[in-house]
Amino acid sequence: MTNSVGSKGARLVLSVILAVITIVTMIPLIWMFLMSFKTNSEIYSTPLSLPTGFSLENYSRALETLNIGRMYVNTAYVALMAVGIALVISFMSSYALSRMAFRNLNLQKALNQYLLLGLMISPFILLFPMYHISVVTSTYNTFWALIMPYIATQLSFNNLLFVNFFKGIPVEVEEAALIDGCNLPQMCWHVIAPMTKPVIFTVVIFNILYVWNEYPLASILIRKPELYTLSMGASMFKGAYSVDNAGIVAASVLIIVPQLIFYGFFQRYIVDGMTAGAVKG
Amino acid sequence: MHWLSKKKNLIIMMTPTLTIYTVYIVAAVFIAVYYSLTKYSGIGKPVFYGIKNYIRVFEDRFFWISLKNTFIVLVISLIFLTVLGFLIANIFRIKRRGNNLSKALVFSPAIISPIIVGIIWLYILDPEIGLLNSALQSLGLESWMQMWIGGTVLSPYMYAIVFIWRQLGYITTIFVAGLNMIPGEVYESAEIDGASGWQRMFHITIPMVRGTITIVMLLVITGVFKIFEFIVQLTNGGPNHLSESLVTYSYNITFLNGEYGYGMALAMITFVITLILSALYNFATRDKEGA
Repeated sequence: MTNSVGSKGARLVLSVILAVITIVTMIPLIWMFLMSFKTNSEIYSTPLSLPTGFSLENYSRALETLNIGRMYVNTAYVALMAVGIALVISFMSSYALSRMAFRNLNLQKALNQYLLLGLMISPFILLFPMYHISVVTSTYNTFWALIMPYIATQLSFNNLLFVNFFKGIPVEVEEAALIDGCNLPQMCWHVIAPMTKPVIFTVVIFNILYVWNEYPLASILIRKPELYTLSMGASMFKGAYSVDNAGIVAASVLIIVPQLIFYGFFQRYIVDGMTAGAVKG
Repeated sequence: MHWLSKKKNLIIMMTPTLTIYTVYIVAAVFIAVYYSLTKYSGIGKPVFYGIKNYIRVFEDRFFWISLKNTFIVLVISLIFLTVLGFLIANIFRIKRRGNNLSKALVFSPAIISPIIVGIIWLYILDPEIGLLNSALQSLGLESWMQMWIGGTVLSPYMYAIVFIWRQLGYITTIFVAGLNMIPGEVYESAEIDGASGWQRMFHITIPMVRGTITIVMLLVITGVFKIFEFIVQLTNGGPNHLSESLVTYSYNITFLNGEYGYGMALAMITFVITLILSALYNFATRDKEGA
């Protein structure tokens, strides 16, 4: 690599700086984890002390007070529907916008621009309108009140990634398939989709993370506790436990740890997705 | 490709996306604009109100407080994320063991649910039981103990710290990508010409990542105007709306006070401010590059 930093001494200093930054970043997470093993009286009287043992009592209480399992199932269901539908329909429209022949080329370009506009729109001006639409379509307080907006808010991002990727596929691939008598669904499913796997993966992982973390929409579209998603449920921890800080911390760790594991497995795709959205130019 | 592109096929491929997008995004924007021009409390019919809501925004003391708070977060985040992100990215360029682990760990706060981020920092910043004040006390620095959150002064600064914590790894990653686009030969020839490390930094690296800096600044601007969840957890804008950001203020007016018309006007103005800031920044940097 570059030797822009020459001497061994300077390198050592930089390594130490990096280590310090990494550790400082981790302190809040480590602190949460340690706190989840302390009792409430320990948290109040000796906030700085380390836990005296690794009792799982807070965790079992967290699981009893809140139905975290249910929250996971709800989130998984909403994510499956929203991410699945968004994937299929944005794959289709992106294919049409990048590879199919419109009689009017300007229309094709304009439609693409139209879909990309969504990247600029702040989600916060959409909250009340989406609530309004959920009331009009009588989906308010059902999973579909969340699923439809979640599909909609992912479309621009998916469109950006798919269109960019499809544009790079050589025409010969499709021509060969056409000569073999391939029709449109076969073309999408057997020819294009297998080539697009890495992008599909990025889109899916990134969309799942979005649904998993989404809170503003969930907070206005879902009122029934039995329909709460993870973020929505987590926002109620303070109320549900009132003075049980140990319970809040344990419940939070039960959400953080699976998320970090998910991140560990799919790091590449998550980072790709987040930077692709940024460096769209 | 032409015989797959019959009109019927094109319509089948485009309709689902266009319908959902048009209803839930485009029509939603128009609904937002419409309600921002009405007085509506959720009961009965909205009453057309013209631009009265918008006039009220500028006379609203809490709007200006939220604006000030948001700008405090914005300025601090812009400075620290750009400078730290750039410096850390440069440290990552020196190959060493543990780099990948470091990168992964520093990035990890970006993927944690923002509601949980709020809970995590609540137990650090809380004046009573938080880590920060407890640590200061045990170090004998009682005079440094503060109302980090829940007071009237420090909350927006704390939002900035939490935001920086959450975004630093992400911004660093974007800088790393930008640095990797600089061809190695540029450095080699500079070295042959006898340029020092600092000279290379100021005459090669910084000018060549200018595009990346623009992207980072725009990301920070739009990111700050989306901060919501951890403010809800840390202070919910309190006490008495004094620590609101523009986003939490418009949310609270809309959904807690039920002033849908006025809330939408606040949201629209917030959105327009983001667009103006992004456009201004884009314009300013384009100008420089032309010169």
